[in-house]
Amino acid sequence: MAIRFPSVEFFQALQQRTKDEKARFEKLGYCDTTFGVRIGKDLFTIAFEVYECVHVHEGGDPERLDFVLTGPPAVWNEMIAAIVKGKGADGLHTLNTLSHVGDVLRVESVDAEGNDKFYRYMASLQEFFDQAQHLDVKLS
Amino acid sequence: MSYIAPKDYSQDPEIVAKIMRTISGQLDLSWMKKIGERASFRPSQPARGLTLDDINHGAYSPDRLPEVVRQNFSMAPRGAILPEGLPSLGYRLNRKSDVWADVAPQLFEEGKSRRWAPAHDVPWTALAEPGHSEEVAHALRQLSTNLISIGLVACDTAALWEWRTNQEFHEIKYLMCVQMYDAARIAEAFRKRSLAGDGQLGVDCPELGDFLKAIFASDTYPEASASMNLLLFSWVQALSRHLEFTATNAADAFLGTRLAQDATRFIAYGVDHIRNLLHARPVEAQRLDDHLDLCENALVGALGAPELIEPLLILSGGFEPVAGLYERTVNEYFARCSAAGLGDRRSRSPFPDFLRMLRS
Repeated sequence: MAIRFPSVEFFQALQQRTKDEKARFEKLGYCDTTFGVRIGKDLFTIAFEVYECVHVHEGGDPERLDFVLTGPPAVWNEMIAAIVKGKGADGLHTLNTLSHVGDVLRVESVDAEGNDKFYRYMASLQEFFDQAQHLDVKLS
Repeated sequence: MSYIAPKDYSQDPEIVAKIMRTISGQLDLSWMKKIGERASFRPSQPARGLTLDDINHGAYSPDRLPEVVRQNFSMAPRGAILPEGLPSLGYRLNRKSDVWADVAPQLFEEGKSRRWAPAHDVPWTALAEPGHSEEVAHALRQLSTNLISIGLVACDTAALWEWRTNQEFHEIKYLMCVQMYDAARIAEAFRKRSLAGDGQLGVDCPELGDFLKAIFASDTYPEASASMNLLLFSWVQALSRHLEFTATNAADAFLGTRLAQDATRFIAYGVDHIRNLLHARPVEAQRLDDHLDLCENALVGALGAPELIEPLLILSGGFEPVAGLYERTVNEYFARCSAAGLGDRRSRSPFPDFLRMLRS
C-alpha cells in the first residue's frame, strides 16, 4: 500500500528502514541528533540515537530541536520523487545541495552547535532520506 | 638529549635481588593489595558499546579533576595509584580549562565510529567520467592541493600540543590523536583526488601558508584551538559543503560530504573548549581576540589569493556563488565565536570590510 508523503507514516517507514538496513547505518557511524523537517506548515520531529532512528512524530518544539530543515512542499516533493526515481538522491537533490545556499531548503536552528549537527551527521541523514527509494510513495 | 633514569636497573643489587626473589617464587603481591576505587562500568547503550563516558565515574571521572593539576606529571593514567618516584614527563598543559571540553569524549568515540577510508570508500571510478570540463578539473586539483596543506598543518598542530598535555586529561589527548588521524585523512584523500587518473598537484599558496603558520605558531594551546578548530575548520567545513554542492560525480560528492562531517567535529570541540575556558578564566578573552585578529587577517589574504579564489570562481561558474560562500562562511564563523563566549567579533574583524570590498 502506498505511503503518502508528507505524513508521519512516511517517516515511520524510513525509521523502520534504519533498522532493516542496520549494517548500512552502522557503517556510517554514530548519529545522535533530534531534528525537524518542516514541509510547508507541517513539522515532523525525528530522533536518531547511536545508529538508528529511534523516534518520529508529527509536531514538536523547534526551539528544542538541533536544527529544522525547512522548505516548501514542492521542493520536498521534488526531492523525494528524485530519490525514488534515481534510487537515491542525484547531485541536484541532496540535502546539502538543496540547503547550501539557503534559497531552496533552509537549515534553521536556535544555536550554532545545533546547526552544525546537520553537517556532522550529513551522510547518515542523506542515507535516511535515500531509503525512500524502497518505499511505495504517493506524493501529495 | 636522551633521558637517563636515576637507577642503573640492570646492575642495581637491590633490584636484582628483588627479581631473584620473584623468580624463586616469593611473590611480593603488594600491587594486588593497593586496589583503587572499585566500581561497576557497563555500556549505557549496548549498541554503542562501552564508551569513555560509561567509564568516567567516581575516581575515574574527569569531574573530580582540579582546575590545576599538581598531583601527577607522570605517565600514570588518571585514577591509578601513584607510588613514590614517578618521573615527570614535563607536561605544559596542566590546567583543565586550557584543554577541557565536556563534548570531547563523545567526539572521540564519534570520530572513530564515523571513520572512512579514502582508498576504498571513495567511488574513485566515478572520476572516469567526471562530468565537468578540463578547467573545472584543474580548479578541483588546485583546491585539493590547498586542502592537502591544510590537512598536514592541522595534523602537525594537534601533534604539537598532544604530547604537552597532562595525562590526567587523557580524553583530550585521545581526541587530539583522532584529530591527527582525521587531518591526515584530509591530506591523503585530497592528494588522491588531485592525482587520480591523469591528475597533478596544483600550485602552493603563500597566503594560505601564512594563515596556516599563524595557527601552527600559536603561543598557547587555547590560541591554537580557537584559530584551528573555530576559524580554520569553519572555512574547511564551508568549502567542503561547496565541493559537494558543485560536484558533478559521486566521488566529489562523497569527498565533500565526508570532509564536512570531519571538519564539524573540530568545530564542535573548539566551541565547547573555548566556552569552557572563558567560563573558567574570562580574562583569556582578550588574548584570544588578539590572536584571532591576526589569523582572520591572514585568512583574508588566503581567501583573496588567486590560488584559492580563482579555482572557486571556475568551479562555481561565476563570482556571485563565491561571494555568497564567503559571506555564509563568515556569518557561521561569527555565530560559533559567539556560542563559544567570544561575543560579537564583527566590529574588530577584517572580514566585514573584506566582504564589502568583494561586493564593491
